[in-house]
Amino acid sequence: MMKQTRFSYIRGMMRPVLMFMTVLLFTGMATLVLAETGAGSAQARIAPVGEVRLQGQPPVEIAPAAAKAAEEKAELEAAPQPRRADYPNVGMSSRAIVWVLAQMHLFFGALVLAVPLFVLMIELVGVYTGDERYDDMAHEFMKISLTGFSITAIFGGSLALALFMLYPDFMGYMMHVFGAQVLVYASMFFFESFFLYVYYYGWNAFRYGNLKWVHLTLGLLLNASGLTIMVLANSWATFMMAPSGVNEVGAVVGNIWEIMKGPLWNPINLHRFIANIGFGGAVVGAYAAFKFLSTTDPEKRAHYDWMGYTSNFIAILAFLPLPFAGYYLMAEIYSYSQQMGITAMGGILAWLFIVQAVLIGTILLAGNFYLWSGMSRTEGSERYKGLIKVIAFVLVVSFLIWVTPHTLILSASEISLLGGSHHHILGPLGIMPAKNIAVNLMLIATFLSFQLYRRSDKVATVRWAPLGNALLIGVYVAAVVNIIFLGVYYGYFTNTVYKVGSSVAQVSTTLVVIVAGLVIDTLMFRNAKRLPSHWGRIPDRAQYALFALPIAFTWLMALMGYVRSSVKTHWHVYTVMKDNSPDNFIPTIGYAGNMITLVTVLFLLCVLFMFWVANLSGSRQAKPEATAGGEA
Amino acid sequence: MKVLFKTLGFSLGLTLLFTLVTYLLPQVKGEAPVEKKVDLSSLTMEDFIALGDDIFHNKGTCTLCHKPAPLGRAPDIEGDDMVAESAKRLADPRYKGDAKDAEGYLRESMLHPSKYVVAGWGKKGSNDSESPMPPVDKPPIQLSAMEIDAVIAWLEAKDGNEVTVALPTAAAAAEVAAGGAGGDAGKAPAPAATAEEALAKFACVSCHSLDSKDTLVGPGLVDVGSRLTSEQVRQSILDPGAVIAEGFPPAMPTDFGAKMTVNELEMIVKYLAEKKG
Amino acid sequence: MEEQNTLGVGGRLVAVAIAIIIMLAVFYGLDHMIMGMQGLPLNPDLSPAG
Repeated sequence: MMKQTRFSYIRGMMRPVLMFMTVLLFTGMATLVLAETGAGSAQARIAPVGEVRLQGQPPVEIAPAAAKAAEEKAELEAAPQPRRADYPNVGMSSRAIVWVLAQMHLFFGALVLAVPLFVLMIELVGVYTGDERYDDMAHEFMKISLTGFSITAIFGGSLALALFMLYPDFMGYMMHVFGAQVLVYASMFFFESFFLYVYYYGWNAFRYGNLKWVHLTLGLLLNASGLTIMVLANSWATFMMAPSGVNEVGAVVGNIWEIMKGPLWNPINLHRFIANIGFGGAVVGAYAAFKFLSTTDPEKRAHYDWMGYTSNFIAILAFLPLPFAGYYLMAEIYSYSQQMGITAMGGILAWLFIVQAVLIGTILLAGNFYLWSGMSRTEGSERYKGLIKVIAFVLVVSFLIWVTPHTLILSASEISLLGGSHHHILGPLGIMPAKNIAVNLMLIATFLSFQLYRRSDKVATVRWAPLGNALLIGVYVAAVVNIIFLGVYYGYFTNTVYKVGSSVAQVSTTLVVIVAGLVIDTLMFRNAKRLPSHWGRIPDRAQYALFALPIAFTWLMALMGYVRSSVKTHWHVYTVMKDNSPDNFIPTIGYAGNMITLVTVLFLLCVLFMFWVANLSGSRQAKPEATAGGEA
Repeated sequence: MKVLFKTLGFSLGLTLLFTLVTYLLPQVKGEAPVEKKVDLSSLTMEDFIALGDDIFHNKGTCTLCHKPAPLGRAPDIEGDDMVAESAKRLADPRYKGDAKDAEGYLRESMLHPSKYVVAGWGKKGSNDSESPMPPVDKPPIQLSAMEIDAVIAWLEAKDGNEVTVALPTAAAAAEVAAGGAGGDAGKAPAPAATAEEALAKFACVSCHSLDSKDTLVGPGLVDVGSRLTSEQVRQSILDPGAVIAEGFPPAMPTDFGAKMTVNELEMIVKYLAEKKG
Repeated sequence: MEEQNTLGVGGRLVAVAIAIIIMLAVFYGLDHMIMGMQGLPLNPDLSPAG
């Protein structure tokens, strides 16, 4: 009864909200249509309302020819080339301001884009298994990230403001190039907010039966608008890296689609899409870990243990194919401009890939450590104890190979040798065969941990199980042999072109292992006998792995975002619009490290705030005991 | 609360650890190329060669690819005697370019890298018919003609060969000065503002008469708008060899497409298309 | 606890050996395919044919 009233109350509340949103949506769409058809052109808007003229006379022409000529000229306008004095000086580095705001916007943007994605997946799992725990967990994931949407918008607005203030010429050019697309982008926010709030607040109202499908559709639409926002924003970043639809001086010659669909657009879309999921999973995992550690109630511990496990599962699963997307992106960068590719992988930015190795190593070690610790939850894990030691050994050795730079310590004279803008010693770091072997072995080892964990609470009952296991051993052994062969033979005994090409074959091998492992296990453990699992039976120290993951993810994202942006070197828009601002140089690695740490810590604080707010809604202050006389 | 401090401490510690890694690596800045003023009155050949050396290692970004053997992605220009190499390449039956000597070859290889690709260094899958090198006079490298000369001078001088390029003339220096801080506009004079200016700038009038049908070198253009559509006018400027007016030699330069700004081209096309005699 | 062992120890070893050989053949084909797709043909002994 109580429930019933609450629902109808919510429904009652929603009607005006819904109506308001609908009106907003239609206004937005109408503006859009007008803008598209040109009905809202400047001339139409400033045309006088009433016009007095003699019967039979043609209407007075308001110099349309001149207007047309001006338009034509505007269309062929080259990119501006601002001088140093044209950049406003606010007394501190403009780049640093934009750096922080853009990164914070991207962190939260990635988070609020990713969470609804896997929330929808978890919700679907809940529908198919009929297990309400999934539904509740999905709802809880939404709850803790809800404030993130506002934070994203706040940083997005500040970023836009900062860009327009600090880089007016550049932003003017971008507006000129992208034009009405920016309006489409803005209107998508209306859609996203609408679906977000209905999806979240309607969770319990549309919980069962057909209404559940309405709810799932809302989730799908929420994700669709979120992804549209992402790919639209990506097109700006990729236009800056590899402009298309403009000629060599930056004058617009193509339509908006040709401008958006640059050579790097889809690689970036794919890479960000996958990475966002991993990032989102890692962040909500930290929430679960924190809740796990701060309670002693076994039931709550079981719940948060399970939630942490699911988050880790999402993060690691999304992380494994990421190198593949990374290769795709780098390959497209090389084929767009070999010079840009080498600037990233062989110039001074190459050092950053050592930091990247440290971060990815941290992520993989933490993820593996968490999986191994989690095996204490089940009784079937004894079988794999020996194998885990082997995995740990492979991981650590590979990690050490990976982070070993070509030259460990540089003397002062070597540093002065570096003096120019590019580096002579570390050239082929990105295609270093030894490192490639190490990376792929680490990925395979991680996947093996993952697979063992998945198996630890099951016993296969299909008759061909021993054959399936034999095949799986064959896949792993042959894959390791192939990866080492490819790395050693093409890496050290053939030419550069084959060396680069073989790294693609290596990653493909890893991918084959992942796909084969998933397929074989799915088939083999159909109707498998389940061994009892004890959620919550995991050592406290394992939870720290769930903190290490988001920290390393955040840092990594900031680092690679910095590399992505820096390969443009001293250009706003590569080859088209030069950056003549005082900040047009590539800073030292230490400076970049400081900036990245700054944004990571800021993000950490904002996330803490977000979680705290989420918990606030669930707590209610006890009514104070009535005191004599009461309060005034 | 204790949990909060422990986990926060752990997280911050890890962040600082990552920061520390960045401090262990060499701290190098990647400066954007700076404009250099060349004082023509005191410029010696030695300075010019040093300028070429500097451009090769910095602004030209040549050393990204042109490195000694195990690291390079392109021939080791610094290690090889490029004058001797050029002679070998010019003698190669695969050579299809127009250069006659080392200086010409070096310039051609910078402006049109695909004219001749050293065996084994071609783009993947192109069978050495296409070079991965960007033309150095185009963005993002954008060397001026004078800077390219300086690089050639250095390439010749570094192995003790005779330097054949001449020191820059006052005209070239003026171009560089005109570029100023606004980028490398040095290679192109300021764009023309009107069609007449543009026609003068590209010296169209030295071969075409604009106010009569008289033939100078090319056909007179006073009625060109009635003979050709603006599309055809545009094509005749960008690709003069495509359709040649009857009885004329293919003498018109073919590089207007690269030299003209879009505005200039459009102004000329519009101007000519309206000339109906 | 243990999965059913219908093959015996010797049978298992043989199965694993066969599986390794099959998978090596698969990866051999994969190397040819991936390198070929990038315009980098290989000889039958996997040495560069370009």
